[in-house]
Amino acid sequence: MELNLNIPSWSDLRFWLPEAILCITFLVALLGDLVVRGRRTWVPFAVSVAGLITAGAYAVAAMNHGLDAGQFQGHTIMGSLMIVDGMAGFFRLLFIFASLVTVLFAWTSEEIMGKRRENKGEFYALTVLLTAAMMVMAEARDLLMLFLSMEAVGLISYVMAGYMRTSLRSSEASLKYVLFGAVSSAIMLYGMSLLYGMTGAMEFDGIRNALISGTVDPFALLVVVVLILAGMSYKIAAVPFHYWCPDVYEGAPTPVSAIFSVGPKAAGFALMIRFFYTTFAAGTDAGTQLVQDINWPLLVAVMSVATMTYGNLVALRQTNVKRMLAYSSIAHVGYLLMGFVLLSSAGLASILFYLLVYTLMNLGAFFYVVAINNHLKSEELSDYVGIGFRAPWAGAMMVIFLASLTGVPPFAGFVGKFYLFTAVLDKQWFWLAIVAALNSVVSLYYYFKVVRAMFLSTPAEGTDMSPLKLHWLQYVVLAMLAIPTLALGLFFEEFKGLADMAIGMMGG
Amino acid sequence: MEITLTHYLLLAAAIFVTGMVGFIVRRNAIVMLMCVELMLSSVNIVFAAFSRFHLDGGGHVFVLMNFAVAAAEAAIGLAILVEIFRRRRTVNVDDLKTLME
Amino acid sequence: MTAMPFLGTATSALTGHYATVLIFVLVGFVFAGLALGVAKLIRPSNPSPAKMTTYECGELPIGSSWIRFNVRFYLIALFFIVFDVEVIFLYPWAVMFRTLYPIAGLGAIVFWEMIIFLGILTLGLAYVWAKGDLDWVKKLTERPENGAATAALEEEASAP
Repeated sequence: MELNLNIPSWSDLRFWLPEAILCITFLVALLGDLVVRGRRTWVPFAVSVAGLITAGAYAVAAMNHGLDAGQFQGHTIMGSLMIVDGMAGFFRLLFIFASLVTVLFAWTSEEIMGKRRENKGEFYALTVLLTAAMMVMAEARDLLMLFLSMEAVGLISYVMAGYMRTSLRSSEASLKYVLFGAVSSAIMLYGMSLLYGMTGAMEFDGIRNALISGTVDPFALLVVVVLILAGMSYKIAAVPFHYWCPDVYEGAPTPVSAIFSVGPKAAGFALMIRFFYTTFAAGTDAGTQLVQDINWPLLVAVMSVATMTYGNLVALRQTNVKRMLAYSSIAHVGYLLMGFVLLSSAGLASILFYLLVYTLMNLGAFFYVVAINNHLKSEELSDYVGIGFRAPWAGAMMVIFLASLTGVPPFAGFVGKFYLFTAVLDKQWFWLAIVAALNSVVSLYYYFKVVRAMFLSTPAEGTDMSPLKLHWLQYVVLAMLAIPTLALGLFFEEFKGLADMAIGMMGG
Repeated sequence: MEITLTHYLLLAAAIFVTGMVGFIVRRNAIVMLMCVELMLSSVNIVFAAFSRFHLDGGGHVFVLMNFAVAAAEAAIGLAILVEIFRRRRTVNVDDLKTLME
Repeated sequence: MTAMPFLGTATSALTGHYATVLIFVLVGFVFAGLALGVAKLIRPSNPSPAKMTTYECGELPIGSSWIRFNVRFYLIALFFIVFDVEVIFLYPWAVMFRTLYPIAGLGAIVFWEMIIFLGILTLGLAYVWAKGDLDWVKKLTERPENGAATAALEEEASAP
């Protein structure tokens, strides 16, 4: 039997430094936590921050180097398991940034750092490892690595969702996450095993070549695509595989929900883009030429509409801000899927740009909930009455995030949605654009409900109206997210160019 | 009777469906986890059979990795179950409704 | 629908090699069945209540055996599963090591790869150990700020 050996040469690993650094950081943070016996929590915290910054610096350097050389078509790592190319570089930066701000903000969160919590160091160590796993998800170009990276992200997420061991809600969220995650990954795996059987290849380019040669039965391929799409839709929480999402976000500690709503979703999109674009669209703009018997655009368009409509309509009647944000994140997955309908490079680039914007504004909104939860110990909308005046600066930034999530100009969310809409309209998918626009109008209502509670409603007699004192680090992190949200709404071309480049420099 | 690739695929499909149905029908979280393990095992059969069919080692490697991942998943799932059982004295998922609307 | 290209046409080489295994299994069953059958035929049989009880090292069994096991058994089993299954990666490595080791430039990689893997695994074990999760009896004084929660765990753990 021929065994295809994928033995890495050490020299490959120099392209993989950020991930390697994060893995080492994880081990050091865990050991550091052990050495200080969980008492001096700043040790794992400092190690994690330092590791994330170092990895980020290397990722930026690699990105610059790739851009200067004029071509970033990719270096394969560990045989052909992974590839570092323009798209991987883009997602690396996105994940490191998201994790860094989450780690910084979690330092001030009562849910993570509260007196009664155990194993605080583990949160930081796991976030670092989660970052590395998500980065691998964006780099995988082999069915094996695709599965392993998805499972790595999944397993870490299950533990992080159950971080508050003493809280039944947290454990319950974690259990639901495990059960749904395990079954959906099994379904995806079944699809992958059939795909391997039909094509005889594990690498994406091998699968593509087998598909081009046309020996694959179209009906069997449809089954495979549906099975694999199901597993990936679970990761990004698209309807009808979204059931876990609101429960997990509500039950998990809010900083964890924040990173869940951004990181694994973006990683899921990265994986979907690379897998479907390089195998089924043959890495070209000709769309889904290899799978003519599958009405791919309609399949994804229906999923997109269902996802955004469901997310928005259910978000309307939420009274818990955290749960409302969970449904809103489902709706945003619906918008993002619009860029996926035609598998064109313009659409994919707009997904990347929107993911960047979404990371900023959604993390910001979740972090505000964390900051308020520290004081109120509640996420109920009714408790938010008048909260805007008790912490005006943070409140103003929350308004920016919410306005951006709605997609109101001149904020970044508007630009991101604009690009997504153009990608669809270019190919005459008018009905999809109209439904999405109507959805945005619906979302205005529930985002505005939060703003109204914060600033416009008159609090009941006897409500505590003393100013809230937020930690200085919270202001810093919120500003780190709010300023780009504003700036990207006005000076977006640079970053849109980066997204275009990332898609253009995707190695097959 | 000669045992062909088809037989392996049919066996795997039967096991997969058994696991799937079990996951949907049963409400005991431990049994649900076991059903997921059943589904993963059926995938292993498919991979091993195709690996032999294509005379390619990739499928076998996948099976090995799948074992380890399945064990890790089961361990995490059981650890969470133990935690929930300590508090609620039940592993029936229908009783876990703290997070429902 | 066209015929599925991957179904039905392959003749499997799997059958030939495993005929030996099948014969071995059959012989095993026959041997065990024979031994038990003959013993049943020729041994004297006079059961008494004391003989029919469950064997528990000569003690009289107390209560049903369908009791809830101490939760600590599950924890140990969890650790065992994780560390045990990871060892599966050692098998293919050990099989291929002799072939790969002499190849220039490959030997060191193959060797150190596994050392790194085992190192991480050992770190995991050390972590579990240092956290005290392998202790059968947990100390109450270890985490003073969390005394209440630990005490609650102790109380539950000591229940049958």
